[in-house]
Amino acid sequence: MKPRHFIFLAAVLSASALAGCGKKEPPVSEAEVKAVFEKSLPSTVDDKVWERVPAHPAKLLLQDMVEPRLLQASTPFVRVQSVTDGRKVAFLLTWKDATLDDVPGPALFGDACAVQLPATTAADVPAPQMGEDGKTVEITYWSAIFQASVNGRKDDIHALYPRAAVDHYPFEAPSLKAGSPPQQEMAKRYAPARGAENPMAGPRTVPVQDLLADGPGTIRFAEKTVSSGSGKYSGGGWTVLLVRPLPNGAQPGGRTQVAFAVWEGSRQEVGARKMRTAWIPLSLGSAQ
Amino acid sequence: MARVYNWQLGREMSYWYPERRPKRQFAAVFDTNKCIACQTCTLACKTTWTSGKGQEYMLWNNVETKPYGFYPLGWDLNLLEKLGAQDWDGGQYAGRTIFEAAQPGERVLGWRPEDIDYASPNVGEDDCAGGVEKGAHFTGVHNSWFFYLARMCNHCTYPACLSSCPRSAIYKRPEDGIVLIDQGSCRGYQECVKACPYKKTFFNAMTGTSEKCIACFPKIESGMQPQCFVNCIGKIRFAGWISRPESARADNPIDFLVHVKKVALPLFPQFGLEPNVYYIPPMNVPREFLAQMFGPGVDQALEAYRNAPRDKDLAGLLTLFGSTEAIVAKWKRVEEQVIGYDESGKEIIRVPLREPTHIRQAFDAARGVARTNVS
Repeated sequence: MKPRHFIFLAAVLSASALAGCGKKEPPVSEAEVKAVFEKSLPSTVDDKVWERVPAHPAKLLLQDMVEPRLLQASTPFVRVQSVTDGRKVAFLLTWKDATLDDVPGPALFGDACAVQLPATTAADVPAPQMGEDGKTVEITYWSAIFQASVNGRKDDIHALYPRAAVDHYPFEAPSLKAGSPPQQEMAKRYAPARGAENPMAGPRTVPVQDLLADGPGTIRFAEKTVSSGSGKYSGGGWTVLLVRPLPNGAQPGGRTQVAFAVWEGSRQEVGARKMRTAWIPLSLGSAQ
Repeated sequence: MARVYNWQLGREMSYWYPERRPKRQFAAVFDTNKCIACQTCTLACKTTWTSGKGQEYMLWNNVETKPYGFYPLGWDLNLLEKLGAQDWDGGQYAGRTIFEAAQPGERVLGWRPEDIDYASPNVGEDDCAGGVEKGAHFTGVHNSWFFYLARMCNHCTYPACLSSCPRSAIYKRPEDGIVLIDQGSCRGYQECVKACPYKKTFFNAMTGTSEKCIACFPKIESGMQPQCFVNCIGKIRFAGWISRPESARADNPIDFLVHVKKVALPLFPQFGLEPNVYYIPPMNVPREFLAQMFGPGVDQALEAYRNAPRDKDLAGLLTLFGSTEAIVAKWKRVEEQVIGYDESGKEIIRVPLREPTHIRQAFDAARGVARTNVS
């Protein structure tokens, strides 16, 4: 290569890198979500591997099938990338969101997303809207509210309302040693959902929940949440990593279906009020 | 939607689920004329049930001054405005309920209070409906008015909270009609908060679930009245069981007050929930205001109440209010005494129709001193 040509090529490459703010745009997979095989799964949203994993631009639709319906569209697209190690599958979801919503409260809702897969891989797939009777779907749900909690925000009114004044909590009486088993037990009794072992109530170590459903309105907690994840808000949008086991029957080199949902907290989207996709083909890469 | 019968409206209406009434229905009567807004009921509830984190702002029970008191802010006005003007045709409701007026995509017509709406629990307290002219109190004519409205969950026959929950996490107990949120399965969507016209479900930001009045069901199961009833200083409250009008029994205290004497009325019956807390309306308030709040039976209720001094049965039953912690399932008046019985027919309380009057002389001759309240 002549020196003059080398200088020109270097300038073009530099300009391309700057245009992408230092990040290389991944290739696009229009027709399906391609789960690329990797020996080890990426553990962060910033992992370099995402620069070469194909991205599927998933079009989001209104959930307007069952009440309460969402009748005004919000988030139009979510970009999906996927990696599998043969046992687990990781999804990276990226979408634009002008507002960071991670505070719970009356009429306050968190940004959130979810991935859904058929619980059993078969030709006859469940209905894309939360599955159907006898055809269970598995869902991994991430919430910005959970993420803030995992990131260190205390489950305390002062974390939400710094100037709040509280006279007394019975379970924090001076006679009770803070953190002692009797004190913890008493505190649990004053948090009804926690007393009922509802995973909504925390304490939580991961910002995700594993859920099962057999149709709209049937969502329930899986026996245990084994998935993990993390979300990061920057540049006017969310990037969320969800890592979950491959569902029953899904094999490396095989195919199944996957669906996604996104909730925009500032528009009071919660539960059935969401933007969602139909089933999207998911191809699982293998070591070969 | 199913078609169900709402006797408070005198007609069938649309509801999300078919009609399924409980074996018996918890109900209550509040006499607004006796409430002094001391908030003892509020504190009794607060200290019993909502001392936890995330419950700081919750008032499952509250007392507000009408017309300008609200908790949360504008809870009734906001919905009345959304629903728009509606009519009664005599005893039959000719308008739309909040189920029938639901907007597309919704199960119920509702609105969501924001945190700021819960920030002023004492707003409007003791504020009159108009200015008080100098000297007005001397004339004996009250041109201005207010009254105290004590509120709790109405444990409705057709709960909007239950209807709105997409997860069916809210249920009405078949044994007593008490409406509860299953704390094990709620996911905190706040659909119930939006739907309840009385705004008696509350979101707990620390547990991520919604919570509400449980009618002190452990006490109910033991034959006792809830905390807000038995701690009431003014003895305005009476808990029991209500029948449908066609099977009302005069020896059932709630039936007697609601169905026989028709002295106690539901709160905003036009919303369509068949609420089960009944109010004896205040006597000093314009009828138009009361008709909007308690429906078309106001004139009859006030007439019956004003006649209580001459109606020994009604006066007698009113003396049972606040007389016992136990639930009075049956009652009767025997001449100048009123007797309350439990479910098994066992006598649990006996009160005189009129308390005997003792007059103490102002001067204590034995001690040679003028009496004060403590001597």
